[in-house]
Amino acid sequence: MAKLKVTNLKKSYGNLEVLKSIDLEVQEKEVVCLIGPSGSGKSTLLRCLNMLEEVTGGDVQVHNYHLTDKKTNINKVRENIGMVFQHFNLFPNLTVLENITLAPVELKKATKEQAKVKALELLERVGLKDKADVKPAKLSGGQKQRVAIARALAMNPDIMLFDEPTSALDPEMVGEVLSVIKQLAQEGMTMVIVTHEMGFAREVADRVIFMDKGYIVEEGTPQEIFGNPQNERTKDFLEKVL
Amino acid sequence: MKASKRLPRLILILAVLFTALNIILPSSKIQAEEKTYQIATDITFAPFEFQDVNGKFVGIDMDLLDAIAKDQGFKYDIKPLGFNAAVQALESQQVDAVIAGMSITEERQKKFDFSDPYFDSGIIMAVDSDNEDIISYKDLKGEKVAVKTGTEGASFAESIKDKYGFKIVTFDDSANMYEDVRTGNSVAVFDDYPVLAYGIKQGNGLKIVTDKEAGASYGFAVSKSKNTELLDMFNTGLANLKASGEYQKIMDKYLETGSDKAEEDTGFFGLLKDSMPSLLSGLKMTLILTVVSLIIATIVGIIFGLFRIAKNKVLRAIAVIYIDVFRGTPLIVQAFFIYFGIPAALDFRISAVAAGLITLSLNAGAYMAEIVRGGIQSVDKGQMEAARSLGLPYGKAMRKVVLPQAIQLMIPSFINQFVITLKDTSILSIIGINELTQSGKIIIARNLESFQMWLIVGIIYFIVIIILTKVSNVLERRIKHGQA
Repeated sequence: MAKLKVTNLKKSYGNLEVLKSIDLEVQEKEVVCLIGPSGSGKSTLLRCLNMLEEVTGGDVQVHNYHLTDKKTNINKVRENIGMVFQHFNLFPNLTVLENITLAPVELKKATKEQAKVKALELLERVGLKDKADVKPAKLSGGQKQRVAIARALAMNPDIMLFDEPTSALDPEMVGEVLSVIKQLAQEGMTMVIVTHEMGFAREVADRVIFMDKGYIVEEGTPQEIFGNPQNERTKDFLEKVL
Repeated sequence: MKASKRLPRLILILAVLFTALNIILPSSKIQAEEKTYQIATDITFAPFEFQDVNGKFVGIDMDLLDAIAKDQGFKYDIKPLGFNAAVQALESQQVDAVIAGMSITEERQKKFDFSDPYFDSGIIMAVDSDNEDIISYKDLKGEKVAVKTGTEGASFAESIKDKYGFKIVTFDDSANMYEDVRTGNSVAVFDDYPVLAYGIKQGNGLKIVTDKEAGASYGFAVSKSKNTELLDMFNTGLANLKASGEYQKIMDKYLETGSDKAEEDTGFFGLLKDSMPSLLSGLKMTLILTVVSLIIATIVGIIFGLFRIAKNKVLRAIAVIYIDVFRGTPLIVQAFFIYFGIPAALDFRISAVAAGLITLSLNAGAYMAEIVRGGIQSVDKGQMEAARSLGLPYGKAMRKVVLPQAIQLMIPSFINQFVITLKDTSILSIIGINELTQSGKIIIARNLESFQMWLIVGIIYFIVIIILTKVSNVLERRIKHGQA
């Protein structure tokens, strides 16, 4: 059974239809990369997966929860879906450590002590243990994004969503963030990643999905999409970015 | 909706606030078996009522009331509200009686029951002591004449203004009226003889130029058909005092020429020294009003600021209405409405300080709500999204992530509101709260030194606000540094 299932999903802002009937399944431990031109709806689709966007129609199912069902406690579902944003969205009023421990402690997932031990462990994994007590303002972009990943992992999610995690970074910092994500992929995390890094998508993805104008146009393995795209629009797009 | 979860907490907060108010403020319910009558009076109507150098209320009305109460054995509290406020307070039954050198008129008799007259007054005209041109009503043609609202002098001036062709300028207290003549804005003043005579004796720089017009008599007033026992006691007591000669003693004390009058040092520093104790106690009230109302306003502001940006349409509408009403009406109207209007309509009593606090809190609360809304909305939307994506519910995300950042952004506006509210307390002098401005008014009523006294009062406000602003700025910098 699919870990994440989207059926006939629609999303409009007023008269503007951003997503037009999307069907998507993500299996356990699968890494899916969403690519496509800006405005194609890939970020919106990602944000619908944890209901940061209210959907206009269709269904989003995570495990056995229908997120569009009013009775579903969305907060509970979100605890299991980590999200990493393009602009990091670290909490500037808290230290790096507090950024990571806030949710587990507030949601009674761990005591302060336990959360701190776990946070330091995660910081070590992303190579930032020495930054535990500084405020986010003192970090570089790449460091901020690695902290943001550690913050999401602190809730022990079994799905991770990445919304253009490297788009706001200086080029020399892209690598450090991508290597953390790659490591997660190797550990078997189920992930949906919106990205413009085609090389990275080719390397890390089990499946690549090309979106345009609110539709899924084409999907397949990285070899299929990058090596032998079928659809004209996919070809056109890849020619421009590669 | 989430709102339904927050509502009980809101009610709890309001309940706590009301309890707190009840503890801080003298509740109307504590009217013990032995009744203490609340008697309102003017604050600036020497020689009938005014504060002496020691801040004690004295004057013909005060001494008479004291003697009658002793003679008849009843207890009372004096509420110096100012004449208009005193009359309104009696109308809305905030007080039991008024003694304020009030003329017995037909119009007033429709609403109030009056005692036997205790003083026969008369109207007299005065001009600046250097003025040699105005010696009779005829000389007033085309000129301005100062009167005090609601007084006999005002109605007399009204009755002859067309005949002699002058314009009337209205004031709320005698000191301002005399000052207007001194500065030459008005050429003459019509006032009750005893008041004017007392003022001239105090050196107000005016002189009397006409004979006394027969005027009405002054009476002690209660609400129509209410407190009849109090009225009876007053009448009996008055008769007793007249019989014993004590009545005449009181009159002589204030009206006999050459009566002992306290010489005050009228130099700037002398005034400063004499008036400092009352001004400082006024300043204390000003600061208490400011701080307490700002604390309440902050809570109210956060609640309504959150309502203002809530998803729920009803909550949003409530917040918009509250904010619009309090930003869209003058503070003075709100104060009158809360102090006189609502209690009169719903038949209950409220102390002036409580009414003042409620007014200021709600008024500042409306502005605070907008500050809070602005603060929250200027926090990056991504902060809320990141917090929610971790599974934090809206309330927790707001409290732990968004509000702490919003509060930092709000600090400059908050300091600004602090200064505004501090200055706004002066408006509450109008409902008789003895804060800094009112203290100034009261002192001026006694010594008539308006230029120097208002200068002193202004300087005190200025110094306090400058100090508070500097302290706030230091705090702001500290908080910002803690953040970086």
